Amino acid sequence: MSPPLARSNPLLEVRQLEVVYNHVATAVQGVSLEVADRQIVAMIGTNGAGKTTTLRAISGFLPAEDVAITDGTIAFDNRPLAGRLPHDISRRGVVLVPERNKLFDTLTVQENLHFNLTRRRREIRDKVFDYFPRLGERKSQIAGLLSGGEKQMLAIGMSLVCEPKLLLVDELSLGLAPIVTEEIMGILQNINSQLGLAMLIVEQNAAAALRVASFGYVLEGGRVVFKGPCAQLMEHQDIKEFYLGGGEGKTRSYRDLRQYARKRRWWG
Amino acid sequence: MAMFSGSPYLRVSYAETNRILPEPYQRVLVGAVAVAALVLPAVGNAYLIYLLNLTFLAIIGSVGLNLLTGYCGQVSLGHASFLAIGAFVTAILANRYGAPVWQALPAACLVGAGVGFVVGLPALRFRGIYLAITTLAMHYAIIFILTTYQANFGSSATAGISVPAPALGPYEINSGRAWYYTLLLVSFGVVLFSLNLSRGYIGRAWVAIRDRDIAAASVGIPVARFKLLAFVCSAALAALAGSLGAYFTGVVTVEAYTLELAIIYLAMIIVGGMGSVAGAVLGAIFMTLLPFGIERAFEAVPHAWRLGTTSYGLQEAATGVAIIFFLLFEPKGLIEIYRRIAEYFERWPFRYRELQPAERR
Amino acid sequence: MELLVSILVLGATHALLAAGIVIVYKASRIVNFAHGELAIVGAYVFYSAGLITQGQSLLLTIAATAAISALFGVAIYVALMRRLVGQPTFVAAMVTIGLAIILKAAIVVVWQSKSVGINLTRQTLYSFPGGGRLTLVDVITVTCCIAFFTALFAFFNYTRLGRQFRGAAENPLLASQRQVNVNLILALAWATAVFSASLAGVLFGSRSMLSPQSTIIGLSGLTAALVGGLDSLRGAVIGGMLVAAATYITARLIDPALSEAVPFAILLIVMTWRPWGIYGTPEELNRV
Repeated sequence: MSPPLARSNPLLEVRQLEVVYNHVATAVQGVSLEVADRQIVAMIGTNGAGKTTTLRAISGFLPAEDVAITDGTIAFDNRPLAGRLPHDISRRGVVLVPERNKLFDTLTVQENLHFNLTRRRREIRDKVFDYFPRLGERKSQIAGLLSGGEKQMLAIGMSLVCEPKLLLVDELSLGLAPIVTEEIMGILQNINSQLGLAMLIVEQNAAAALRVASFGYVLEGGRVVFKGPCAQLMEHQDIKEFYLGGGEGKTRSYRDLRQYARKRRWWG
Repeated sequence: MAMFSGSPYLRVSYAETNRILPEPYQRVLVGAVAVAALVLPAVGNAYLIYLLNLTFLAIIGSVGLNLLTGYCGQVSLGHASFLAIGAFVTAILANRYGAPVWQALPAACLVGAGVGFVVGLPALRFRGIYLAITTLAMHYAIIFILTTYQANFGSSATAGISVPAPALGPYEINSGRAWYYTLLLVSFGVVLFSLNLSRGYIGRAWVAIRDRDIAAASVGIPVARFKLLAFVCSAALAALAGSLGAYFTGVVTVEAYTLELAIIYLAMIIVGGMGSVAGAVLGAIFMTLLPFGIERAFEAVPHAWRLGTTSYGLQEAATGVAIIFFLLFEPKGLIEIYRRIAEYFERWPFRYRELQPAERR
Repeated sequence: MELLVSILVLGATHALLAAGIVIVYKASRIVNFAHGELAIVGAYVFYSAGLITQGQSLLLTIAATAAISALFGVAIYVALMRRLVGQPTFVAAMVTIGLAIILKAAIVVVWQSKSVGINLTRQTLYSFPGGGRLTLVDVITVTCCIAFFTALFAFFNYTRLGRQFRGAAENPLLASQRQVNVNLILALAWATAVFSASLAGVLFGSRSMLSPQSTIIGLSGLTAALVGGLDSLRGAVIGGMLVAAATYITARLIDPALSEAVPFAILLIVMTWRPWGIYGTPEELNRV
């Protein structure tokens, strides 16, 4: 895990992002984050914290009706990203691995990877089979019939073939067994170190994400409530208690577990 | 009298949530419309009464289709064939067997319900577009059968079957005004029937099936039974409309029941607002009066006769234009426009209403 | 022998119509109910273009009609279909029904519902014993059909754009994230579909008289597409041949009046027995 690089211009820069649903529900309020070149950044938080909405806003991909970015800027490589069409953003190098509907279920594994294949990208496609040998065994299987882990691998493989400069991974561990999650996270780390690909990983499984990333943001209620290098985050009392399942060491009775009543320490 | 009962979102009993007209202003509005409707024949001319009679017939049909497509979500292109069945059964019974109206009408509804059951059977297998295509095929099958019948047994191949005026005891309904009050009564009954269905278990089950039939099945709703029930009710109401239409026009020909008619009925509920009885009524009024409106507009323009068939073409195209216009720009229909205005006043001075799932009646 | 040739020619027209419906369905899961109307309007446009060039330049007429059809297809997509993003496909189908009504009325308004015929050529190539004739128009019809389908087949299966087509059909969101401009693909699909509709209409109009009632061929095209499978081009060919065979045999050997009912009967049979057609991919159909 490399320490966050103090670049003057980070690869992805989100400033004070605000996303509102149906004019009334603010899903994301004033979120700012940065991803530096070649860095893995994790965004953790519970359900409804606004993580997926942030990712969707970055990838240009908010649902058609009545969701809008009402404030803030998103810049990739110093050029603004907000308001661009999804395929445009994708071509710039910001590729999203979605949480749902991540594959073309009726096409085969091979066809999925060939989706936007050019001559230049054939090497990348071969590399994908190196990273995910299980896919290599199932080249002509219909993608809809793969197991959960293999589907996730294929989705990541498809994103790699698009020659991304920044990979956005949305809730990778959903529906996967912990051991498979570990495996895939490890492969992501390999890809990062070998290809130098920057990543922004959104995860509910905080432990897995923080182990792999170098910098982390904690989202709650649409705001960034805490951020720091992952080593620091993993040692923090509140993160251990609320996200990593650690405790203060003494036996817990139900009365001690009044988590939701206690104020988090990072509020002061 | 206070027009608003305080917050429109606070109800204190189940009975209150289920009221058809919960707010005082709604009751005033409906009351005014009712009074106007009752008084109208005294002040309107015969042409207006004729138009309104056509509208009432359309309302019966469109409310029926709304039960099937609006509430239960089963797309059906076969509505015209149910109308035809109602008309033909009535005509045959009245003409060949001399049955009085109080026998012919219910018989037509029963036959319509039976045919609706048969047409509904494929619905257990399909959804969406494939269901629409299946009902299309059924429509053609039924029309084919009726065409053969008319060719072989009608007074001539194209003249159709004539229907005597309906008589209830000594009263014969053969004047515009008599028809007006009869049809007003029947359509009011149909609207009330539909509203009651929608407020009760059946209506809620239908909406559940429309939204997610698998989830509906998993909470214990017998999906197949209710889908068939929707088809049966809708076909029975359509047969009622067809039967009354047969009495109203006095002659029944199969050529009048084209696919375009089915599409016009679908347009009615789309334009009015799917899944809402008030929407079905509004849509029926709109689509019935639209061709006449266009004709009048053309007559108002000087030298319109020079455009030749343009007026006719536009009347033909009006249905298509209405469908496309509403689907593109106001998919929730006319009733949504009314609701937006009503809600603006309901929640004033607040700007936005809280997020609520749609609960339409 | 003459029977086979007639069925082949009729089947070619049906297959072309079905192809247009399949292309639109493959790209966007929308069933286009206006296809028959588009075909007949295309034929009328060809007729008028021919009138304008006074029959001098066949090439110009063809080019003009092709260009107008393709542009009209793009216009349909941009003005109508693109605004229906996110709504169920039934809504889009209703819009195509509305379009069909408008087009049919347009024929009445613009061409005063005149019955016209397209006079490509009257050349008879061969006369069958027993009365039938094989005309040059028949040969052109079948050739066009074969050429069109070959081009389409190659496109969908062997080109990158074809793969993107199929992906965009299944999951436009994902395709868009994978750097595919879905708008472009859908516009292309509609342009091709309307072009093929005009082609079918022109070929039809060379053998029969055109009138606003001719738009009923759309139903035969839809039936052919359903029989073969709404998302299969191979199915469009087979379906076209089957529907043509059934219609023709019924007309010749059983009863001409009954032949009008044949497409509907086939529709019923297909829906009951195998709704996704012969070569179609079974979708989530069999759920109660």
